[in-house]
Amino acid sequence: MGRELTFEIFRYNPAQPDIEPRMQTYTLEETPSMTLFIALNKIREEQDPTLQFDFCCRAGICGSCGMVINGVPGLACHTQTKDLPDKITLHPLPVFKLLGDLSVDTGVWFRNVGGKIESWIHTKKKFDPEAQEERMDNALANQIFELDRCVECGCCVAACGTARMREDFIGATAINRLARFYIDPRDNRDAADFYDLIGDDNGVFGCMGLLACDNVCPKQIPLHDQLGIMRRMATVESVKAIIPDFIRKKLTGCKSVKA
Amino acid sequence: MQVHYTDVLCMGAGLAGERVAVEAAQAGYNVICLSVVPPRRSHSSAAQGGMQAALGNSIMGDGDTPEIHFNDTVKGSDWGCDQEVARLFANNAPIAMREMAYLGVPWNRVEPGENTYFKGGKPFQATEKSENAGLIHSRAFGGTAKWRTCYTSDGTGHAVLFTLDNRMLQLGVEVHDRMQAEALIHDGERCMGVIARNLRTGELEAYIARATLIATGGFGRIYKATTNAVICDGGGQITALDTGVVPLGNMEAVQFHPTGTVPTDILVTEGCRGDGGTLLDVDEYRFMPDYEPEKAELASRDVVSRRMTEHMRKGKGVKSPYGDHLWLDIRHLGEKHITTNLREVYDICTRFLGVNPIHQLIPVRPTQHYSMGGVRVNKDGHAYGLKGLFAAGEAACWDMHGFNRLGGNSLAETVVAGGIVGKKIVEFLEGDSMTVRTDAVEDAAKGVRARIDKLAKGTGDDCYTLRNEMQDTMMEYVGIFRNGKDLQTGVDKLRELLERSKNMRLTGKGLKGQNGELSMALRVPGMIRLALCVAYGALQRTESRGAHAREDYPERNDRDWLKRTLATWKEGDSLPTLNYEDATPFFILPPGDRGYGGGKIIPGKEVTEAERVPYEKTDA
Amino acid sequence: MNPRTPAEIRSRLDFWQAFSGALLAVFVCCHLILEGSVVISPVVTDFIGDWMEKIYVAQIVAPVILALILFHFWIAARKMPFRKGELTIFTQHSMALKDVDTALWIVQVFTAIVILFGAFFHVYGVMSQMPLTVEKSHIRLHEGWILFYTVFLPCTILHTGIGMYRIGVKYGLISKARRKIWRAIIWIGMGCYLILGCCALTRVWFY
Repeated sequence: MGRELTFEIFRYNPAQPDIEPRMQTYTLEETPSMTLFIALNKIREEQDPTLQFDFCCRAGICGSCGMVINGVPGLACHTQTKDLPDKITLHPLPVFKLLGDLSVDTGVWFRNVGGKIESWIHTKKKFDPEAQEERMDNALANQIFELDRCVECGCCVAACGTARMREDFIGATAINRLARFYIDPRDNRDAADFYDLIGDDNGVFGCMGLLACDNVCPKQIPLHDQLGIMRRMATVESVKAIIPDFIRKKLTGCKSVKA
Repeated sequence: MQVHYTDVLCMGAGLAGERVAVEAAQAGYNVICLSVVPPRRSHSSAAQGGMQAALGNSIMGDGDTPEIHFNDTVKGSDWGCDQEVARLFANNAPIAMREMAYLGVPWNRVEPGENTYFKGGKPFQATEKSENAGLIHSRAFGGTAKWRTCYTSDGTGHAVLFTLDNRMLQLGVEVHDRMQAEALIHDGERCMGVIARNLRTGELEAYIARATLIATGGFGRIYKATTNAVICDGGGQITALDTGVVPLGNMEAVQFHPTGTVPTDILVTEGCRGDGGTLLDVDEYRFMPDYEPEKAELASRDVVSRRMTEHMRKGKGVKSPYGDHLWLDIRHLGEKHITTNLREVYDICTRFLGVNPIHQLIPVRPTQHYSMGGVRVNKDGHAYGLKGLFAAGEAACWDMHGFNRLGGNSLAETVVAGGIVGKKIVEFLEGDSMTVRTDAVEDAAKGVRARIDKLAKGTGDDCYTLRNEMQDTMMEYVGIFRNGKDLQTGVDKLRELLERSKNMRLTGKGLKGQNGELSMALRVPGMIRLALCVAYGALQRTESRGAHAREDYPERNDRDWLKRTLATWKEGDSLPTLNYEDATPFFILPPGDRGYGGGKIIPGKEVTEAERVPYEKTDA
Repeated sequence: MNPRTPAEIRSRLDFWQAFSGALLAVFVCCHLILEGSVVISPVVTDFIGDWMEKIYVAQIVAPVILALILFHFWIAARKMPFRKGELTIFTQHSMALKDVDTALWIVQVFTAIVILFGAFFHVYGVMSQMPLTVEKSHIRLHEGWILFYTVFLPCTILHTGIGMYRIGVKYGLISKARRKIWRAIIWIGMGCYLILGCCALTRVWFY
């Protein structure tokens, strides 16, 4: 016999606004190696087919199942019940539009933010099918991939006090995404271009250094280090007119290949 | 009902769907992608390994050519593939990789000088050429003569998918996520789009398109144990099958992987066994040497999978709340090895299973991994039977994989086929005009509505019960080891389930908006039909070829079975109608021995000169 | 030439916030050490005070610092949870998350307000009774200012310490790898200053 787990789950269906948001309790016997993916599916299939939540890859790769687990945002699929107390409280991720119970619309949010920061390689070159690929240092390729690892689960945004208060803040994930292009030599944008995209209080200056993004990231991406690099870049860019160039260059201190 | 109009409609926004969308959008056409999840959550993102392309930059891939790649692919397919398509693929793969590099994929690159690599768990030194420094590197994968798999660390699918999705953003391609396609709009000759159910609102919406693409990935979820994502339920294949005119090709060709973990079916790499990991049974006894004295755990994927199943059937499996399984033991490899060389395995075990592989055994079982079959298309990606319907990626049977696909070939297929099919769609649109038949739209919508209404009135089983029984049936009777008796039982059981599904009921009544149970309920009958295509196709195919292994017909029979199964479903039938076509229009590589896997071959008639074509003849 | 004119000033606010904050932090650190000299001997403190007045440093620095505080507050206030519902959202968020760094931000907001008003009282109290001597401070403490300082001193130290840590983190000077070490350094630093401040207050109290 495993433990008896009590799940307190947030319930609200925007399509049925007459039913108030509420917490609903379910109990379930714990089985070995149980994850929240298994537990929630069991509840839906055996107890309450109306319970809404999102899973996709169930292997911590796709980022679908971000939710607030006992107060802390995380991926449900790689959260094991054995690491949790007998009582497990689940809420949907805040900030994102609620679609029903634990399901939120991260897709549209990330698409909008991707558009805002123009999350693609800006180049005037045309692809030549006959030509050999452009060379790149392997260390740089690895560095780019490290920043590209973000699965856009939204946990960092949900954990961010700024994002909670100010809905236009683009969040650590977007700034990290831009940092990926900042170091990519294939992208022709320079510091001034990046500054135009994120050099305001909705962008990198909105960050108050609360660090929760870093602490909850399920992929352990050093988000705040990237925020720091981008903030320095943007700050130095912002004081272009008032600080002499030779000092400015020293202040940047981050390794952009394009610099 | 909301109606959307577009030139190209992509069902699915994984790698194949997005690659096609990008190609069409670049040519100036209006494209809409439908996806049940936000595009970046597509299962393509989970592919870790890499993409095969004969770039030949790395020292271990030195001298590689598309022709060698082609040969590996055909051998891998156990001669079940279309050789024209396999050549098209091999020729275009290097260009596709370079194009991805141009778009921003951070491929790992050649580091000149001496590097340490691993083969069979043993390290060795190799010196990369300095003139290749910074070009796309490649790693080793099973069944290949050269190291040819391009990769970005352990997240190739993720990196390429995000890059393509960035490109989509740049081109302004519309993506409608949380949309589940339920039926194709067609008049028996021409496909005109789809009826989709909005998973946010529960409403039906019509998408009218001049070209419709099915790129919805595999259908692994018809099996209980599958490495596929929960969305890989064959939705696209079901809509094609439901037309009654579009055939699904080689549905019986299903690939299993020996070491999926229990309970969540996440793969642990073959590297575990390569490096010396062993398989143990309920008594913690190492059983593989009893079956395969020479190779033991290192026999090929399908052989190990079969032996594991056989052993569990003898009652030697470990009982668990999630079904029987066996143990993978890597404890003797030591902490250092496990946390460095097998770090990924260590992470999966600790994070998802709560098992520490340094001190504990890992629960594993053979797990469904890939579906070689799918919507049968010609080399242009145009589906048989319906004009204006295309398919690409795992959802399609383009057919470069035949009866067994090589690691790294499927991921490469998505972008290579995506590019080719995208171009062909553009060509198709250029010379095409379409009259929308409103009655066809109405009919399709009515059909879906009728299904939803019927579910509300149903009094029989709920969808989860039926789905679980289907999955159990597939595991038990249409799994790795197949024989006539079991397959017949499987077919019978599935037919019974299909009958029961007609009276399926919803347990959560009257739920508005997002409704997970209804989404599943709408899928289950279609999934059972797909399962029947697999089971019935397997029953009829009285030979063993690639992943299709019949105990009662252990030989590969080139005399009678060098052909592809085509399954269509006539309305009201309880079984698919099977037809057959030649596996390949011509032979570049005549049937022969694969060089691994063993097994007897019943040779077919000699390949004539007229059927032979030299590789050089380019077609790209 | 450059199209971003109005936004230009706004986007520099972050720089000015950090810059003014850093200046104030340097000031607080120096100020507390000079005041702390009373622990060694009130004679030393009186000497320093006397010297600073003579060269008019005290008379100039005090209003400049006040202005800097106002400036710093005015800029940083744009981040404060003054809009409707923001404080509640943030407090609930912080309590649910149980994340120390997030919670410290509320401390930062609270101490900022204390310092804003406190600094005026403090400067008024000191400057209205020129010249600066330990004896006068002793009298003031006994007049009831001791209560004021037991609140003002820790708030100033906390705000300064947390603020410096935040600047380091925000500008990527304290990387993830070294965050733990720096956090310890900052807390120890704040502890030392608090002990120094308390010792100084005690010394003046029993002058």
